[in-house]
Amino acid sequence: MFVDARTLPQKFVIDADVCIVGAGAAGITLARDLSGGNRRIALLESGNFDFDADTQKLYAGEVVGQAYTPLDRDRLRYLGGTTNHWEGSCREFDASDLADWPFGVDELAPFYRLAHDVCQLSSHSFEPLDWSTDEARPLALGQGASLKSGVFQYSPPTRFGTAYRNDLAAAPGLTVYLNANLVQIDTNDAASSVTGLEVACLNGKRGRVRARQYVLAAGGIENVRLLLNADRVQKTGLGNGYDLVGRYFMDHPFVPFSATIVAHAASPEMAFYNQRMVRGHIVEGYISASDEVMRKEHLPPFAIGVRPAGLDIDAGVGNMTLPPALRHLMSENAANHLTYYLPRWINRLETPITWMQQKMWRNPPGVYHTAYNCGPYPDPDSRVTLIDTVDALGLREVRLDWRLPASFERDMQRAHELLAQELGRTGVGRLRIESSATTGYDPIKDLGEGHHHMGTTRMHNDPHHGVVDADCRVHGIGNLSIAGSSVFPSYACDDPTMTIVALALRLSSHLKSTLG
Amino acid sequence: MRKTRRFVLSCLAGASGLPLMLHSDLGFGAGDGCEPSAATLRCLVEDPRRARVLGHSYRAQFPDEDHAGVLSGLIRSSLGLGSGGALLNRAGLLAVVDARVRAEFGAGDIVRVHGWVLARTEARLCALCD
Repeated sequence: MFVDARTLPQKFVIDADVCIVGAGAAGITLARDLSGGNRRIALLESGNFDFDADTQKLYAGEVVGQAYTPLDRDRLRYLGGTTNHWEGSCREFDASDLADWPFGVDELAPFYRLAHDVCQLSSHSFEPLDWSTDEARPLALGQGASLKSGVFQYSPPTRFGTAYRNDLAAAPGLTVYLNANLVQIDTNDAASSVTGLEVACLNGKRGRVRARQYVLAAGGIENVRLLLNADRVQKTGLGNGYDLVGRYFMDHPFVPFSATIVAHAASPEMAFYNQRMVRGHIVEGYISASDEVMRKEHLPPFAIGVRPAGLDIDAGVGNMTLPPALRHLMSENAANHLTYYLPRWINRLETPITWMQQKMWRNPPGVYHTAYNCGPYPDPDSRVTLIDTVDALGLREVRLDWRLPASFERDMQRAHELLAQELGRTGVGRLRIESSATTGYDPIKDLGEGHHHMGTTRMHNDPHHGVVDADCRVHGIGNLSIAGSSVFPSYACDDPTMTIVALALRLSSHLKSTLG
Repeated sequence: MRKTRRFVLSCLAGASGLPLMLHSDLGFGAGDGCEPSAATLRCLVEDPRRARVLGHSYRAQFPDEDHAGVLSGLIRSSLGLGSGGALLNRAGLLAVVDARVRAEFGAGDIVRVHGWVLARTEARLCALCD
């Protein structure tokens, strides 16, 4: 059920078996999976069902270093969290993505299968050849090639707060407290056990939560903020005995126009690496390096997509989200077609002149540009810290200092050189690497981020190298765990949402064992 | 041999068009009965004017090859053709060049010219046009 914490009596007390802080992808997944079995679950959400400007202001913070979207625009602080503007891209991390993790792909595999349903994906296959058609097929890269192809599948996208609202309302033993903000984590004198949470509402109501187990699922930046503000016993912040909380912040840097490709018009190889509809599923191919080449050349995991160049009327048009009630009335195939094509047709109706211009004048056929993103190596100096400014609830705000490696541009160019080699070897086309020195265009000036906040409470079995252990429990604190991408010790090259969900399901399994 | 096609690339970021020598079926255009001399090798390039821009850049990067004779010798050598050796018709010469270009890409024998990643032989063919 849902309770508006603002209506609770002053100095309210909530008792639960598990208290989860944050109702985004991780928190909602955990809450749904944990509910039942006579367990009492309290899920705290700072916001309400919909966007509220005053609550959103609680996300304000400072950005230094690499340019970044303002922190109160990058994230959304209401039920469903940042899934409320999630694009939907899904992929399972593979063995090389998990090489620096304390467990391998076999450990996550069963949870990925469950995550498919949570993210509302229809197919379990990420095999490129399974998504090949006559009009779109992957490059014939062959055994031993320096590159490989991969596929993203697209969730509808799942707005967790909307898609699972009814489940949350009906789940046995689960209470979702809206407008409830965690403002302090209390511990025993040794800081080895959480004794309770202090909760505050913007209307002045304050209360407390007492639980057997606590989970922070507030996101890669907010988890840090909550831990560092909890400095009554551990003066450097809770779980921060080795100065790791907030360090290793990483996002996926994204360069939307990194190279130009000329190839045959309607090249099926180029079409494969753009977003398209296949048998009612929305998918997108990408090109990345083989494990051997990544190791040999010290390249980060990267993904290159291909888009038609010139007058791309569909540029910036995303897929739409259907209301769950409507989606349930339709087959999966029909629903996906509608979410994919309807916004594109609306766009054509809204921009008739652009559409006519595209019809009348065709960009020379076979011209494409690439979009590049990668998961740079962990950098301890890329970090989230606290500043002295406080928010309306008295909590210190954050400063984000995102750093990219000095080798970023070199790595990006090398990735494109490898692609150029494969295009030339297979006779598909030729590639031009954009740079201010040679083509007059500097692709780095349009660099953006993936809005993925990762690594800040990283996972490692040694507390000198990680904030949480392999079970996502904070080192030294027996009843505090962390869910979400802040626990990632490395970042792969793509959207973390599906892995966030899989990890949340895995954590749920651990917590069920712990609770008995 | 696939049909020769004119391939025009309109300017993107101010770059000149890529000449028609990317791939045999994208437009190697040549007269019949060519012998693999420097002038003949230039015949393989359908748009020498555009190739000249890239060729000029290649010669500046590799000053040791800044001579038509040197370039044509290197190209013939890489194609396994002796000077004045067995004559190839156009189709045959293009097939040899195509195979060589693909092999160079596979082996990483590439150069970057104005941002374009080209196989060594095709870059040298552009340089012959300068």
